Amino acid sequence: MAMEAVDNSITLCQSCDLVIRKRALPTGVRAICPRCHTPLYDTPYCSINGMLALCLTAIFFFAPANLFPVLELEFLGSMRTTTVIEGALSVYHQGYWLVGIAVLTSAVIAPGLLLLSILMQILIIKYGLNSPSLRTAFKHALKIQGVLTQLTMLEIFVISFLVAAFNLADFATVSFGFGTFCFTMLFIMTLFLMREYDLEHMWSYLDER
Amino acid sequence: MSDKQSTVLGKDIGLTSCPTCHKVTCAKSTHCSRCDAPLTVRDYSSVQKSWALLITATILLIPANVYPISTLTNQGRVTQDTIFSGIAHLVKTDMIPIAIILFVASILVPILKIVGLTIYLSAISFKLPISKKRLMTGFHIIEWIGRWSMLDLFVISLTVAVVNMGQLLDAKPAPAATAFALVILLTQLAAKVIDTRLLWDRLEAKDDSSTNA
Repeated sequence: MAMEAVDNSITLCQSCDLVIRKRALPTGVRAICPRCHTPLYDTPYCSINGMLALCLTAIFFFAPANLFPVLELEFLGSMRTTTVIEGALSVYHQGYWLVGIAVLTSAVIAPGLLLLSILMQILIIKYGLNSPSLRTAFKHALKIQGVLTQLTMLEIFVISFLVAAFNLADFATVSFGFGTFCFTMLFIMTLFLMREYDLEHMWSYLDER
Repeated sequence: MSDKQSTVLGKDIGLTSCPTCHKVTCAKSTHCSRCDAPLTVRDYSSVQKSWALLITATILLIPANVYPISTLTNQGRVTQDTIFSGIAHLVKTDMIPIAIILFVASILVPILKIVGLTIYLSAISFKLPISKKRLMTGFHIIEWIGRWSMLDLFVISLTVAVVNMGQLLDAKPAPAATAFALVILLTQLAAKVIDTRLLWDRLEAKDDSSTNA
């Protein structure tokens, strides 16, 4: 009984292990575990080409978001600017390396890897699902996807621009740089990309064929 | 029979789901057939690991709040701010919305997380009679809001980078910053390692029915 039950018509709740019989869902509706109310599955919108467009746009904004200054401060006629990376490095060089690494990871490294990983996944789905080595690469990318999503904190960083600016307005004249615009765009593109992206759906590409 | 008695668990019928890719597999296999991740029906050691991380985080919460988190030099005058005094200063200078944001992100969220996870883990370890559904909702909220504590560290890194003009005006991080970063890291990990299925195994039917009614 146990062996033959392994089919696609049932699923187990990740949070409480309840056996659930899958049903077809209309789009925009999400199945929720009747026992513990954890979201189970939904019908993803997930158009591969749409995701590709969003992903490329986000990558396009990535470099300027990190290279252009996000905050500009004018104090007694002298001007100071900072980029996201400089912020992380300056706490690092003050001896607070843990804080520096945390900031660098969650604002630069993780989002960058996330976008590259998704781009690679999309390209493999479009052109390379038949090659065994690419399938392995695809599998590894999906495995670290969860960690990368957790570590990506662009939305929090966008809020922190505002908080820092208001904080400093007390002492000096603060203005936003071009980097802030690019960073906000990067955040919005990533937000929409992650709304399209569905990990469960990505895994199912490995089942086919 | 299907309506009321439908609480069949995966482990009862010899199935388990992969923690990485969520594929349903036979519980006897040691590795997932789709993503090769190791499978366990229940991870009993996860409660211990989570307790260890949570207790360490609780201890670190004290230095994070007692020690200063930033040092500001303004025209030769050095002031050190703790998380709380920084927020109090914002209230004094009439920046209430910013003060609220920082209060929620750096004081309320870490404390709520630690208290929430303690209740959650106690419910598993000591079989406390708390509604499982409520615990689970709380757990999902904790998982989601935890990241927002990073806000304060982002603000500090931006401030330190932009405010460096020697004796005139200079900002530097202070010891609590590392402690605070560790609190965030450890509480996030504590929530991540826990196998939530254990909660639903331990407190049986009794608490289920009370909330269903």
